[in-house]
Amino acid sequence: MSQTSSSRLLRWGCVLLPPALLAAGFAWAAGLFSPHRLSTARFMTVLENGGGAAPGFRRAHSKGLCVLGQFDASGAMTAYSSAAVFSQSHIPVTGRLALAPPFPHIVDGPGIVRSMALRLQPDHAQEWRTTMNDPPLQPMRDIQDAFASFSANQRDPVTHKPDPRLAKAYEEARPWLKTAYAANRAHVMSSDFANDTFNSIDSFQVTNAQGERHTVRWSMVPVSPPEAPVRPEDAHDPNVLFTHVIASLHQQPLRWNLVVTIANPSDPVNDPSQPWAPTDRTVTAGTLTLHSSASEDNSPCGGMVFDPTILPSGLSLSGDPLPALRSAVYMRSFVRRSGETKDPSSITPAMTQPH
Amino acid sequence: MSSSSSPRGFALSSRLVHWVMAVLILAMLGLGLFIAHSSTVHYVTLLHLHLITGVSLLVLVIVRLLNRFVVPTPELPADLTTPMRLGATGAHLALYGLMIAQPLVGWAMLSAGGYPITLGGSVTLPPIVPHNPALWANLRQIHTILAYAFIAVILLHIVAALFHGLIRRDHVLSSMVSGK
Ligand code: HEM
Ligand code: HEM
Ligand code: HEM
Repeated sequence: MSQTSSSRLLRWGCVLLPPALLAAGFAWAAGLFSPHRLSTARFMTVLENGGGAAPGFRRAHSKGLCVLGQFDASGAMTAYSSAAVFSQSHIPVTGRLALAPPFPHIVDGPGIVRSMALRLQPDHAQEWRTTMNDPPLQPMRDIQDAFASFSANQRDPVTHKPDPRLAKAYEEARPWLKTAYAANRAHVMSSDFANDTFNSIDSFQVTNAQGERHTVRWSMVPVSPPEAPVRPEDAHDPNVLFTHVIASLHQQPLRWNLVVTIANPSDPVNDPSQPWAPTDRTVTAGTLTLHSSASEDNSPCGGMVFDPTILPSGLSLSGDPLPALRSAVYMRSFVRRSGETKDPSSITPAMTQPH
Repeated sequence: MSSSSSPRGFALSSRLVHWVMAVLILAMLGLGLFIAHSSTVHYVTLLHLHLITGVSLLVLVIVRLLNRFVVPTPELPADLTTPMRLGATGAHLALYGLMIAQPLVGWAMLSAGGYPITLGGSVTLPPIVPHNPALWANLRQIHTILAYAFIAVILLHIVAALFHGLIRRDHVLSSMVSGK
């Protein structure tokens, strides 16, 4: 009797144990047993604690303006990359100029990091999305640094401000970021979006038709930008940088050269916090021309994500650890804001109309 | 006793596609959960693997449905109670529904999000729904809900299969394992 009942128990064990182990495997994959594992959700929490998580807005680079234009390749990059974006002209471009902080209504000012995001959609070929900031280097070298950096910028629940001691501690604990901090502090900010240089900072890989690979970074370098129209009311305009670029675009198109830097074998290609040799070869891949602007509230750039890992064949990821992280976090930011009801942006559709 | 027209076990083609898909689906659920819940430098590679395998599973489920209509399948044991019979049929229907819906939702959500879906080199899948951010947010959530439903039904399905094999000791488990 007891033998049959114990063998029955054993058989029930064999029925229930495999699914229980499988369930435990899924729970492990979902991070249930690893509270310290870095995850997209934890990145979102620290990013949102740094800003206000304004519903409907991007969780970083929240204040921005859509821009439209075209890219004309020079053809010079075809020696390095087979991507169609480097051989075609009149490639339609949708982009977004933004301020990096996670505050959609931040008052424009000097010293705030600015950015340019672009989507290049060549005819019958794969698109390219790229995001660039104006500092030369990224003061983080890997995913752990990124998490520590955003954690140090969370706002204190009482003072509603980040604790400057945390940012200082982050910097002091990381001697490997000395160069990046020094370079970014020495970087002289331009007066406007139109005369700013935007850098990919992260590295990527290019592959040509022969299958040869090189690691690259790139920059958008302004071409003879117009004098900014300085107005007496500028001092009181909370959107002065955007007002300027909108006005410039009404006067004339704005141009940037896409300058690609080819890494030499001794460059630290896997580390966005380190500079490359100033003697590196550069290639002017083409010219970006922006014709017009639009509010993100009624232009497609609002409802899209500039994921830097959306690359055409001929361009691919390098060993730089940040783009993969950014892809996952941008997707989560894009999901959250797309499911929320958004307040009007600071830069309204009316502001982009000619006066 | 099974009727004379239906075989006792599953045909080789049915078993092959069942086990290949079972392995791939379990791997996809684990992979999906892992990439959605960790920050890794391999994210882009793993997500790409997820897309390729997900689209392959969509092709496999079409093959499986065709096979299912062409090749006769065994009947459940005659002495099974009605609730068990309904449960088995319901679970199989749910599994088919999820096998079809989950990859379609994955494809549709990336379409709605305006993401290009690159399979490799210059091979790209066309979008199956228009670019629509609100739809993207909803479908992304549905992909998660369906994934958890999938896990629940699969766990029940495995308990049931092992129950047949080890407790009831009927031919159901062997009909899918050895075809006998
Ligand atoms: C080289 C380093 C980086 C550069 C050049 C960069 C650049 C940019 C740019 C230009 C945008 C604005 C895109 C737009 O206007 O739509 C952006 C958005 C964003 N960035 Fe970064 N970023 C970098 C690193 C990071 C890192 C490490 C994180 C966090 C893990 C991060 C989180 C975000 C988020 C959450 C958004 C909003 C995405 C959206 O909802 O569309 N960024 N980034
Ligand atoms: C049978 C097929 C599939 C299964 C079982 C599956 C399963 C999963 C699971 C479990 C997750 C994690 C959900 C979460 O915890 O939020 C996930 C996420 C995801 N899946 Fe799938 N999936 C399938 C097919 C596809 C297909 C065909 C695509 C696209 C073409 C796709 C795209 C994605 C994406 C983009 C994510 C989000 C990753 C992230 O949040 O970082 N899936 N999938
Ligand atoms: C993981 C994903 C799985 C899926 C989606 C799945 C799906 C299905 C479906 C739809 C059927 C109905 C027969 C058919 O049309 O093919 C079936 C039958 C069966 N499966 Fe699975 N299965 C999975 C895993 C498993 C596992 C892990 C086991 C074993 C422990 C198993 C054991 C069986 C058995 C014994 C049958 C025959 C049931 C009958 O006689 O009707 N399955 N499965």
